[in-house]
Amino acid sequence: MIEASHLYKTFRVRAPKQPNGGIRSFLRLDSIDKEAVRDVSFSINKGEFTGFIGPNGAGKSTTIKMLSGILHPTSGEVRLGGINPHRKRKEAARSLGVLFGQRSQLWWDLPLKDSFEVLGAMYRMEERQRHKRVAELNDLLHLGEFLDTPVRKLSLGQRMRGDLAAALLHEPSILILDEPTIGLDASAKRDIRSLLRSINKELGTTIMLTTHDMDDIEQLCSRVIVITEGSLHYDGPLEGLRSKIGMPALIEVTYRTLEQAEKAWTHVQSSSSADGKQLQERTITVECSLEQYRFMDILRELEAFGELEDARMREADFDEAVHLLYPDLKQIKA
Amino acid sequence: MMIRDVKDMVKMYKLLIRFSIRSRMQYRFNFWTGSFIAAFIAFMEFALLAVILSRFGTIQGWSIAESAYLYSVLTLSKSIYRTFASDVHHLEQYLVSGNLDGLLLRPLPVLLVLMTQNVSIRFGELLLGFGMLAYSLGILAGKGQIELWSAIPLTLLISLNGALLLFGIALATAATGFWLTRISMLQNLTEDATHTAIRYPLTIFPGWLKGVLTIGLPVAFVNYMPALYIVRGEAGPWILALSAAASAAVVGAGALLWRTGMSRYQSTGS
Repeated sequence: MIEASHLYKTFRVRAPKQPNGGIRSFLRLDSIDKEAVRDVSFSINKGEFTGFIGPNGAGKSTTIKMLSGILHPTSGEVRLGGINPHRKRKEAARSLGVLFGQRSQLWWDLPLKDSFEVLGAMYRMEERQRHKRVAELNDLLHLGEFLDTPVRKLSLGQRMRGDLAAALLHEPSILILDEPTIGLDASAKRDIRSLLRSINKELGTTIMLTTHDMDDIEQLCSRVIVITEGSLHYDGPLEGLRSKIGMPALIEVTYRTLEQAEKAWTHVQSSSSADGKQLQERTITVECSLEQYRFMDILRELEAFGELEDARMREADFDEAVHLLYPDLKQIKA
Repeated sequence: MMIRDVKDMVKMYKLLIRFSIRSRMQYRFNFWTGSFIAAFIAFMEFALLAVILSRFGTIQGWSIAESAYLYSVLTLSKSIYRTFASDVHHLEQYLVSGNLDGLLLRPLPVLLVLMTQNVSIRFGELLLGFGMLAYSLGILAGKGQIELWSAIPLTLLISLNGALLLFGIALATAATGFWLTRISMLQNLTEDATHTAIRYPLTIFPGWLKGVLTIGLPVAFVNYMPALYIVRGEAGPWILALSAAASAAVVGAGALLWRTGMSRYQSTGS
């Protein structure tokens, strides 16, 4: 459904030759070619739910924009359901729904239902067909309460639901979502996720989303594509990525006495399962891989040195983990 | 097939305009004061010209009524162009903010969607334009210089043609934004300055500037050239055909530039 073959995107960035070039740097601007995306290829099948992740500035948005026909690749080709969105943008747009979490596509000053009316006409939907579709989306997204409110007065969660409904209105077979859960609270995220899951399962819509929220990936995606510094670094099932990264978790336990903590500390220095990171008074922090060991097993191992007063676990941030996977990543300038 | 496409586009255009106006009407006060102020400014500018004219009687042989004709055709052309293609003039905002992305996602020509954003109907300026036209044609007809039955419909056509020409120049200028991003200064030159220039009969300018205004940025075909036939009788009706050709050429060049520019669109980071 979504095919990208050897996509490259080079931006020409103008930059003065020397920082202190004085008047000459005003007049003589040299341009630098910045490769934002380098040889990206993948093929996503019908009905797949793919997560597209990578740190900021890795080329995610650029790739998404090339896939949706907004940006022309410097070289390479995109096909959406067999149609090249750069040669036949309008045709490709019919089967494509896009949501930018950061930027609403709705008519800002008009009620949501007016946006639906305009969009319905743009995609040449019959009025009856549109009403039916809005009713369906209403069941899934509970839009009824704010269908008549101007979009500018909606809360972020409501707006995102509205935007999602707008992207789905014309029953696209491909859905591209750029950070659909950004800035939402837990319950709004849950709603959006359950909706996405059901349209993927029930309608067979092919979905690709970018996110910085690991839970989105875990709960939704059967496949993950990782992009860093403009190139693909991983493409496969989530489990594979996990085992590649090892998904380190930090476990912090507090003992009743200082003595117990010190004993445990000596133990973890030589333990194979948990790696001692820090000893602070009665609290020790260990790092372990949850791929290889279960949390409960680690706790039992630590409990052998005395009763625990408190235990906490923090999973490493996914973006952080991706960086761990590629330690030679240079810091990318904004 | 072609005709159906055009019909479709017109239908879509009307619908988008309707929603755009509905949007604008959410801020009625702003809408009406904006229209009023624009008309007031246009009127003050003409009043200033009228004062100068009444002091000297004529500009290079052009009477007040004749100058008013130039001015009214310009005002009408400009307000028609700005009503029907308002945000083409504001493409820069879309380029700087990256909002053009959203327009590119729709199965419609980007230009069509852009033309229907933030529509403002320029009631005030249209009213002023028609008022001045009535004044000018009234006096000229009184002197027997023109025949009203032909001058009125021709002038309306001339204004539409002028709107098309101004639109073409605006489109070409906007399209350079795909390379330059910031284009407001260029617009000052190609739109604002040229519009100011053609309030006056072309004969007051030095030769090189006449050349620029007839060939480079052929705004003289908006009002001056047609006026040579309609009010001055110094040229034959062929000059109207030439004006139409000038519009077609400018719109064609604008469209070409636009299409090339679109493929260079760079969007913004998010």
